[in-house]
Amino acid sequence: MELLINLTINGLATGMLIFLLAAGLTLIFGLMDVLNFAHGGLFAWGAYSGTWIYATTGSFVIGIIGAIITGLILGVATERWIIKPVYGNHIQQILITLGLMLVLSEMLKVVWGPNQISATAPSYLAGSWEIGNVIIIKYRAFIIVVGLLVFLAVQYILKNTKIGLIVRAGVMNKEMVQSLGINIQKVFMLVFMIGAGMAALGGVLLAPYSGVIYAEMGLEFAILAFIVVVIGGMGSFPGSILAAILVGLSGSFMAYYVPDLALAVNMLLMAAVLIFKPSGLFGLKG
Amino acid sequence: MKNKKNVFYTLIAVLLLIYPFINDSRSMMILFTQVFIFAIFAMSYDLLLGYTGIVSFGHAMFFGIGAYTIGIFMKRFEPTIPYLMLAVLVTIVLTALLSYLVGLLTLRLKSHFYAMLTLAFAGLFLVLAEKWRTMTYGNDGFTFRVPDLFKDRFDFYLICLVSMIVVFILLNRFTNSPLGRVLQAIRENEQRSESLGYSVLQYKIIASVVSGVIAGIAGILYAISLRFVNTSVFTMDITLDALLMTIIGGVGTLVGAIIGAGLIEFAHHWLTELAKVHWIFERWIIFFGIIYILAVMFFPQGIVGTLKSLRTKSLVKRQRNLEPKDKNEKAAG
Repeated sequence: MELLINLTINGLATGMLIFLLAAGLTLIFGLMDVLNFAHGGLFAWGAYSGTWIYATTGSFVIGIIGAIITGLILGVATERWIIKPVYGNHIQQILITLGLMLVLSEMLKVVWGPNQISATAPSYLAGSWEIGNVIIIKYRAFIIVVGLLVFLAVQYILKNTKIGLIVRAGVMNKEMVQSLGINIQKVFMLVFMIGAGMAALGGVLLAPYSGVIYAEMGLEFAILAFIVVVIGGMGSFPGSILAAILVGLSGSFMAYYVPDLALAVNMLLMAAVLIFKPSGLFGLKG
Repeated sequence: MKNKKNVFYTLIAVLLLIYPFINDSRSMMILFTQVFIFAIFAMSYDLLLGYTGIVSFGHAMFFGIGAYTIGIFMKRFEPTIPYLMLAVLVTIVLTALLSYLVGLLTLRLKSHFYAMLTLAFAGLFLVLAEKWRTMTYGNDGFTFRVPDLFKDRFDFYLICLVSMIVVFILLNRFTNSPLGRVLQAIRENEQRSESLGYSVLQYKIIASVVSGVIAGIAGILYAISLRFVNTSVFTMDITLDALLMTIIGGVGTLVGAIIGAGLIEFAHHWLTELAKVHWIFERWIIFFGIIYILAVMFFPQGIVGTLKSLRTKSLVKRQRNLEPKDKNEKAAG
C-alpha cells in the first residue's frame, strides 16, 4: 500500500513537471500552428538560471521568480526574432526551432560550464511527512501543488477572461479572430511568453527534484512533452494535464517494476494513440 | 547543358580517385573517407527533406542500426566478407521495416508528427543501446575486427568513394524517375498531388524507406571506418550533422548534400584544432547552430540552390537584353 502511494506521488510529481512543459507546447501549437522544438531549451534555461539565482541569493522563491522572468524574456526574443520571420512556413519553423534548441543548450555550457550542477531543495521543503506508514516527501507534494495551481490559474484565465476567450477563439479559427479587428500578433506573443514561462518554471522545479541539472535534460524532457502533446491532443490544454499525469504515472510505475521498459511503454502508448485516434485523446485538430 | 554538368562531375570523381596517389597523407585520407560517408548520409536525408518535404529528427536511428548491426556481426561471428554481406542484408531489412512502420504511423498526419515521432524513436534506440548491455556493451561501446579488405586505409578510401558515387547516381536516377517527380510534386503541393489521384501516403513511405536504408548503409561504413561503435551513433548530433550538411549545402540538390558534408567535416576538423587556441572553439556547435539559423532564415536554398537561382536570374536577364534587339532587328527587317 505504502509503495503504491509513493509511486503514485512520484508519478504525479513527474507528471506535473511534464505538464508545465507540455502545456506551453500545446497552447502555442493550437494557436500559432508552431511546434516549438526549442521548448526543452527554455526548460533547461529555467533550471540553470533559477538554480544559479537560488544559489547566489539564497532564496528559493527569488530563484523561481528569476527562472520565470528568464523564460518570459527568452520567450519574447524567440517569438520576435526566430519564429516571426518564418511564420507560415511549417518546414522552416520546425528546422529553425531545432536550431535554436541547439544554440540554447550550447549557450548553457558556455555560461555555466559543461559539467552537471547539483541542486538541493530549501530546508523548509526538504525532508518528509510521516502519516501512519506512508512517507510523503515534502518537495514532491510541493511540485504537485504548484502544478495544480498553475493549471487552475491558466484554466481560469482561458475560461473566464477576455484574453482567454480570444485565445480559445484563436485556436479554433485565427483568421476569423483577426478579421474581427483583434491584433492576433500580440496574442501570439503573450501566449508564447506564458508558455516559455511555464517551461522555465518546470525546469527550476525539476532541479531540486532530480538533484542535478545538465544541458541535455532539455531534450530529454522535450521528448516526454512531445509524447504528452500527441497523447493529449495538439492544442488541448486539459488534454495536456491528463496525458502528462498518465505519462508520469506510467513512467514511475514502470521504473519500479520493469525499469528497462519505462520509455518504451510511453512510446507504445503514443503509437496506439497515433493509430486509433491521431488527433489525440482530447484533440480538436489532426 | 546536361553534358557539361556530367563532364564536370566525372572530372571531380576522377580527381578524387587519383587524389590518394598524389598525396598519401594519412589524416587527409581519413578525413576524406569521413566526408564520403557523411555525404551518403546527407544525401539520404536530402531525399526526405529536399525532395519530399518531410522533416525527420531521428535519422540517426537508421545510421545507428547500421553501425550496431555490422559491429555485432563482426564481433559475434567471423570478420569475413560473407558475414559482412549478411550484416548489410540485415541492416537493409531492419531499416526498411522500421522506416516503413514509422512512416505508416505518422506520414498521413501533419509534418510535425513525423519530426516528433522520429525524435522520440531515436531516443528509444539510444536508451536501448545503453541498456542492452549483453549485446551492445552499453555506453562504452566495443571494438571489432573487420575483413582484411577494409583494413587498409587506401582500399577503404576507394570503397567509400565508389559507394558515394554509386549512391549519388542511384539517387539521381531515383529523383528524376517518374516516382521521384511525384515526390517533388508532393513537396510542392500535397493537396494537388492527392487530387490528381496519387496516393500521397504510399509515395511518402517509399521515400522514407529508401532514405532509411541508405542511411543504414552510411552507418555501416561509419562503423567500419572506426572499427568501433558506441551509443554516440544514436545521438541527436548525428541527425544534426545531416541536417546542417543538407541545409547549408542546399536542399533538393544531391550535390548540395555532398558539398555540405565536405564543408561541415572540414570545419569540424579545423575548429577542433582551433580549440587549442581558445576554449570557445570547443563549443563549435554554437557557431554551426547560429549559421544554421541564419541559413534557414535568409538562405533557405543553401549554397547550390542559391548558385542555381543566381544563374537562372542571369539567364533571364540575358534573354531580356536580347529581346529588344530582336524586335529592333525585326523592325529594321
